[in-house]
Amino acid sequence: MNRSLVLWGVAFLLPILHFLLHVGFGLGARAPDLLTVGLLVLARELRTGAAAGAGFTLGLLEDAFSILAFGANAVVLTVVGILGSRSRDLFVGDSLVFLASYLALGTWVRFALHWVVAGEEVRGDATRVLLLEAPVAGVYAAAVGMALLLVTGAWVREGG
Amino acid sequence: MPPFDSDRLNAQRRVDIVLSLAFLALAGLLLIIPVEAQQQISSSLRGSVLAPFIWTQDLLRQTRVRAAEIDELQLQLDSTLAVVSSQRTLLEENLRLRALLDLRERGGAAFRSASVVRPGTHGSESMFLLDVGGEDGVRVNQPVVMAEGLVGVIREVGPNSSLAMDWTHPDFRVSAMTLDGETYGIVETARGAFREEDRLLLNGVPYHTSIAAGVPVVTSGRGTVYPRGILVGTVLELAETEAGWRRSYWLEPAVRPQRATHVLVLTDDEPLEVESLELLWIPELSPEEDEGNSGDPDGAGGEVPL
Repeated sequence: MNRSLVLWGVAFLLPILHFLLHVGFGLGARAPDLLTVGLLVLARELRTGAAAGAGFTLGLLEDAFSILAFGANAVVLTVVGILGSRSRDLFVGDSLVFLASYLALGTWVRFALHWVVAGEEVRGDATRVLLLEAPVAGVYAAAVGMALLLVTGAWVREGG
Repeated sequence: MPPFDSDRLNAQRRVDIVLSLAFLALAGLLLIIPVEAQQQISSSLRGSVLAPFIWTQDLLRQTRVRAAEIDELQLQLDSTLAVVSSQRTLLEENLRLRALLDLRERGGAAFRSASVVRPGTHGSESMFLLDVGGEDGVRVNQPVVMAEGLVGVIREVGPNSSLAMDWTHPDFRVSAMTLDGETYGIVETARGAFREEDRLLLNGVPYHTSIAAGVPVVTSGRGTVYPRGILVGTVLELAETEAGWRRSYWLEPAVRPQRATHVLVLTDDEPLEVESLELLWIPELSPEEDEGNSGDPDGAGGEVPL
């Protein structure tokens, strides 16, 4: 099957899985942030403007459950989408180490940006969020995202 | 390979930048629009694109609630069953008391009703206290009975209370016979590992005599303690045979002593109002049958040897 098609399929399914786990099953923080993973994967395939649009759309969906910081996720994921798309010009790689670093760092950036954009009523202690929650969430999302991408064959090393 | 077109590339970059800034501005706008507008947007999203996920959660919640309700219903069912069971116990006790009352009415004033108290102390197994004593006409060695049959015998008597032993006591012995009076023996206790396994053994039955299962065994009246005709139990099966000499049979006891809460003491102050005691425990015996099955070797019938 066309690798790009599989990648698009997985990138489309990841947000669905994200909302299913977080909202449908009510797992909350126990479920990985597959929305960011999906966006990061998709952003590598899209132009910057389209990636920003994808980020905005996914962020808006996430914001539908946010009362005190409506729009924060839209801003954050728009930025993440732009950065993810621009990362293609800065970093070229298809190794597992790169994939893991990309997903983990991207998720950490998403948490960090959200902490910045969200109001004081929402954001918690900076040290706790940036040094504990965000790194753990980044590693968790990267691990699950990598597993999904590798199992589905959406991420294949060039010439591999 | 297509020719490099810098203008086209620059145009695409400009479009990307404009789009990116537009989406960023749009996202930033979401942060500052009035709360009512924010709620309208989020509400419409929750009601459309995100609705399946919310339905999923609602479905799961309902499932969990139903599971909890099932647990709650199970608990209520258990409680109801417990209440019904306790009422069943009361009903059974009520029936036992009614049967006892009926026995007393048919037996006459010679039967003194009494309540049973089990001491429950170490070494008091097979013994029970009665709330009747010497002032009520109770004497040592008087039989204690229930509507179902023989329970035990009085061993000690005080002015207002007495101590009795039931048939599970190792010292318990009673001279007994089959209902037809053809076969005699001594009934004694055969203790099991648990009280529920205690059984009665009809011993000393002549070797040449065979007793069928289900035959009632009553007191024979040959001793000085028990009058003739109190139901002891029914024959279950052959227990042992000593070749050429004797047989013994397992008996199903007429009474389980642990069920006794109220009993009757058969006193000798008043005469019995029945012709034969067997009629009290086996009422289906007609007078003709009773006469025929009395097994009285002397043919005296009728008279109860107290």
